Amino acid sequence: MLATQLKYDLLMFTREIFYMVFTIIIPPVTYLFMGQLFGDAMYAGNLSYAETYTPSFILLITFGVVFFAFGFDQVMNRTTGVEKRINLTPVSKRTLLVSNIIRSIIITSFGYFLIFFIGMIAYDLSFQPANFIIAFMTFMLFNAALLIISSAIYSLFTSMNGALVFSIVIFQVVMFTGGFTMPIDMMPKFVQVIADFNPVYHMNQLFIAVWNGQFQVDNSSLLSSGFIIGCVVASLGVLRLVNKVRK
Amino acid sequence: MEIVRVNNLKKAYGDNKVLRGIDFKANAGEVIGVIGKNGAGKSTFLEILMTLKPYDSGNVLLFGKELNGLSTNQLEHIRKDISAVLQPTQFYKTLKVVELLKLFKAYYKSPVDIEQIITDFKLQPHRKKYFDKLSGGWKQIVSLAIAFLSEPKMLILDEPTTGLDPHMRNMLWLYITDYNKRTGGTVILTTHNMDEVELYCDKVMLLNDGINEMFDTTEWILSTGYKSINDFYLSKVSI
Repeated sequence: MLATQLKYDLLMFTREIFYMVFTIIIPPVTYLFMGQLFGDAMYAGNLSYAETYTPSFILLITFGVVFFAFGFDQVMNRTTGVEKRINLTPVSKRTLLVSNIIRSIIITSFGYFLIFFIGMIAYDLSFQPANFIIAFMTFMLFNAALLIISSAIYSLFTSMNGALVFSIVIFQVVMFTGGFTMPIDMMPKFVQVIADFNPVYHMNQLFIAVWNGQFQVDNSSLLSSGFIIGCVVASLGVLRLVNKVRK
Repeated sequence: MEIVRVNNLKKAYGDNKVLRGIDFKANAGEVIGVIGKNGAGKSTFLEILMTLKPYDSGNVLLFGKELNGLSTNQLEHIRKDISAVLQPTQFYKTLKVVELLKLFKAYYKSPVDIEQIITDFKLQPHRKKYFDKLSGGWKQIVSLAIAFLSEPKMLILDEPTTGLDPHMRNMLWLYITDYNKRTGGTVILTTHNMDEVELYCDKVMLLNDGINEMFDTTEWILSTGYKSINDFYLSKVSI
């Protein structure tokens, strides 16, 4: 049953142009475009463009997949009545959830390897097995955190239009305050303040450090980790509350 | 054989008491129409029977089992014998008709042959169409085909013919009555079309402000002097 559900979940994802554009097309194109503009610049930690933005754009794809294909999909299924019809079948909630998680992992991993591959071809990005494995494990943890946060946020929506507008706006906000376009410390003060409250910004900072083998346990990394954990715990609380209210 | 028994069922959303003591019974092979104005509690009642909503008090026995005491696993097991056509009819919009049938066949672990269902429901010209691109009538037919995939003991239809042209309505009822006769399955439906109730239902339950004002055979209601079920409805339910 899980294999069948997963097969159709993946098929549905590939047939949604909206998801494909925001997750598989925009991030790699932006990655290449930004590389043309700032490919020769050096960034914090004495890192090159590829070393800084390869993990960033991998994370951006993950954010896109998890928020659009996982979160927005939930709202669509709930508001159109699909969820109710599925709930009426004997298929277990666990099967549906596991299939959704595996789908996210497959698509985000595809994004991971796609950006990494483009980085190797276009920017001579080097492959270091040990770092690669640690980075992939960190990426999986962020994947799980984003899944929980996205589930909680989208569980609050009762209309598809509201969720759609939110998705498009939040994508822009995350692009600019997550450190995906230019370094946050070069941005206006108010953007820096927003970034401090953006969990994806903290994930990005940590992921860049892990990717390049520069991760250290210090105030900054503890603050970022603590903020992400706080968001996950709050999201779990929201999910619990929403489930209780719906009954 | 008794399929459903409901005693003194109560359900409220906050202060809004939607069901205020419903008694109901359905036997195998019966076609029962649940009627009442919008907001009378019909959909809530059906959702409780479909195991989708918990209730506050009373008893709901489905296939002899009290629903409130069942675990998630037991509920999933009981759902093998229930199917439904909901209002509005929606499925994954980016799946084609044949893919939806295959997916639901897997959900129900049904032995039914997909090709047979496609033939029976004349779905051949639509098999590769996306569900979202079908007309309202064909969406209902596909929904019914999916409902029949599991060969359910109880079929619940929430306003199944709303918005359908007379041909599609006729076709849908042909399938429903055929299923009922062939399998002895129970059909419980809500509708605002009183002609359909009169034509196809063995029994009628009239819900008014969360109470079942009448639950009897269509025949008996008509024998009490009403010209039609529509007449009965208009005399019992005020705007």
